[in-house]
Amino acid sequence: MSPHAIEVRDVVKRYGDFTAVDHVSMDVPRGSIYGLLGPNGAGKSTTIRMLLRIMLPDEGSIRVLDDDVVRLDVDRIGYLPEERGLYKKMRVGDVLVFFAEIKGVARGDARRRAGQWLERMGLSDWAHKPVDELSKGMQQKVQFIATLIHEPELLILDEPFSGLDPVNANVLKDVILEFHRKGHTIVFSTHMMEQVEKLCEHICLINKGRVVLSGTLASVKKQYGHNGVTVRFNGDGAFLGTLPEVASFQDHGNELFLRLRDGALPARILDAARGRVEIVRFEVAEPSVHDIFLERVSES
Amino acid sequence: MKVLHVIRREYVENVRRRSFIVSTLLVPVVMTAFFVLPLLLSLFVPERQYRVVVVDQVGGVGPEVAASLADTLKSGERMYVVESVDARPDATGDRFADERAARIQAVQDGEVDIVIAVPSTALEDGKTEYITRDARGFSIFERFTDVVSDAVIQRRLAAEGLDFARVKTLSVPVAMEMRQIGAAGDVRERSFIAEYALVFIFVMILYMAILSWGMTISRSIVEEKGSRVIEVLLSSLTPRDLMVGKLVGVGAAGLTQLSVWGLGGLAMSTASGAIALLAPLDIAPAVFGYLILYFLLGFLLYSALFMAAGAVCSTEPDAQQFQGLITMPMIVPIMALFLLIQNPSSTFAVTLSMIPLFTPMIMLARIILLEPPVWQIVLSVVLLLATIYFAVVFAARVFRVGILLYGKRPSLREMVHWYKLAK
Repeated sequence: MSPHAIEVRDVVKRYGDFTAVDHVSMDVPRGSIYGLLGPNGAGKSTTIRMLLRIMLPDEGSIRVLDDDVVRLDVDRIGYLPEERGLYKKMRVGDVLVFFAEIKGVARGDARRRAGQWLERMGLSDWAHKPVDELSKGMQQKVQFIATLIHEPELLILDEPFSGLDPVNANVLKDVILEFHRKGHTIVFSTHMMEQVEKLCEHICLINKGRVVLSGTLASVKKQYGHNGVTVRFNGDGAFLGTLPEVASFQDHGNELFLRLRDGALPARILDAARGRVEIVRFEVAEPSVHDIFLERVSES
Repeated sequence: MKVLHVIRREYVENVRRRSFIVSTLLVPVVMTAFFVLPLLLSLFVPERQYRVVVVDQVGGVGPEVAASLADTLKSGERMYVVESVDARPDATGDRFADERAARIQAVQDGEVDIVIAVPSTALEDGKTEYITRDARGFSIFERFTDVVSDAVIQRRLAAEGLDFARVKTLSVPVAMEMRQIGAAGDVRERSFIAEYALVFIFVMILYMAILSWGMTISRSIVEEKGSRVIEVLLSSLTPRDLMVGKLVGVGAAGLTQLSVWGLGGLAMSTASGAIALLAPLDIAPAVFGYLILYFLLGFLLYSALFMAAGAVCSTEPDAQQFQGLITMPMIVPIMALFLLIQNPSSTFAVTLSMIPLFTPMIMLARIILLEPPVWQIVLSVVLLLATIYFAVVFAARVFRVGILLYGKRPSLREMVHWYKLAK
């Protein structure tokens, strides 16, 4: 048994002249929470569709759960597509039972599980209503239940948090963590970096179809060094980015993240800033995933 | 066998729809009503007595009409109480116009139900009037047409010195009735109009069933693509499971509907021997079997095409253009129907029935009309099955490639390209 739930090697996918995925390789360790990051149109969804055998790659190989993706047993995977899809006219309970059944769950079992999940998500009263009478947030939760009702070993979630209010996002996060503790592997794509920071152990950043960064969250941050400072201030701090010690910076308006050159001292920045702007907060910090993301995307 | 779950879902969701239940129950009722209602209505017109005035300028017509109208009600009373007004010109002048006007006023006042005005010119041009407030009593109108006509003719003959009863006996028209002999040697009464109506109704039912269920499949695929349910499905099923599941599931729903209609029709037809009212519905039981057979075959052929159309389109308007294209060959048999009825065994009819796209409707029409030779039926079914095989293979390939494509509707050329790709 491979230590990786997913192994992607040199995968290429083209749509006509456009190369959506360009020699992508990635390993998703078993039992990890793996974040697939990238701006819109980076090739995340195409990659995910290939992992699910919805599409086949033009080049390269994909192994999922110890088997070539072509022979993949899809029942072991749960997939939440980016654009949610449920049968609008079907009753909520029937939709869940149907989705469970086509993942190999017996009918009686599927009914029982659907009932339990609806109860947990606070949707029991809606089980016999048609899907289109539910609010968007409720439909998202139903779709989420459909993704994991068959207890898959591998969960692939495309933008699971988009469009959810904080309360429901939290419910979702708890379920994801529960699956993680039971040893299931979870891959999710997102561009919401706070979620990545909180949840992921591994990340892979894709831009324009190529992997620009990957590894454990800790190693990625280490790779970027701890040599950064966050300065929050009142006044015009634009000059801070032009200081000789600064390698690059992210401007957040009232706050700047400055990445320093190797060997540069944070104290020099503080000295330079003092007197020219009113400093509210000065912090020697590791870069956030957000900063790394923005930096790498603008570079590549 | 995941395909079973798809079949079950398609079947249950289709059969549960309100429109399904309504149309399944309503169509037989409407069809039956179409035949039976006019007869039924005339039977149930309530009985009553009519007060009739005949304003007679000819002379002798009024008393003759009164004598002829001996109809009685169930109570034994006379149905028509006839008052004859002799309005021949006399010493005081011509009173016809005045009498007529006065009687019309009486009708208006509700004192009289029917006024028959017979001017003297009726002897030449035959024009008379039937004046009433309630123009719905068609059978009563017909009764008066006959009686007044006879009375006027009698006057004309009398003027020539001829005996009316004698002339009438001698001029009884020849009656010719159509009989159709079936393969089993059974004889059915037929009329050209009834024949045409019957064939037309069966062909229309078949046309509507194939079209609406084919569209149902096409629409459900476009909807699944639109709502992206398709991605969840394809991460759980193969495109083949999905396609077969839809064909079988939706087909079974269509079959259910048609079986209800067929059984209803069969019941009517069986009852037609006993109940005179249902006589026009005397149809060979095998016809219902053929209706279902040709529905199944036609559905498979056209649905495969509708499915391919649905798979390559992302929006309903896009899909409609393809649907229009597919519907065209279905209209040909309907247009050919009139020619077909006149000569269902012509080379034209036989040829048309062997073209698989036309077979279901044309063959069904021919079977109702004349019971064609068995070899023709068998050959048409074999050709149809072969075509269905190719259509399904074609649809499966287009389906596999097209199903995940979003955005612009592809050209036919691109579809052919995919077809080759999918090998």
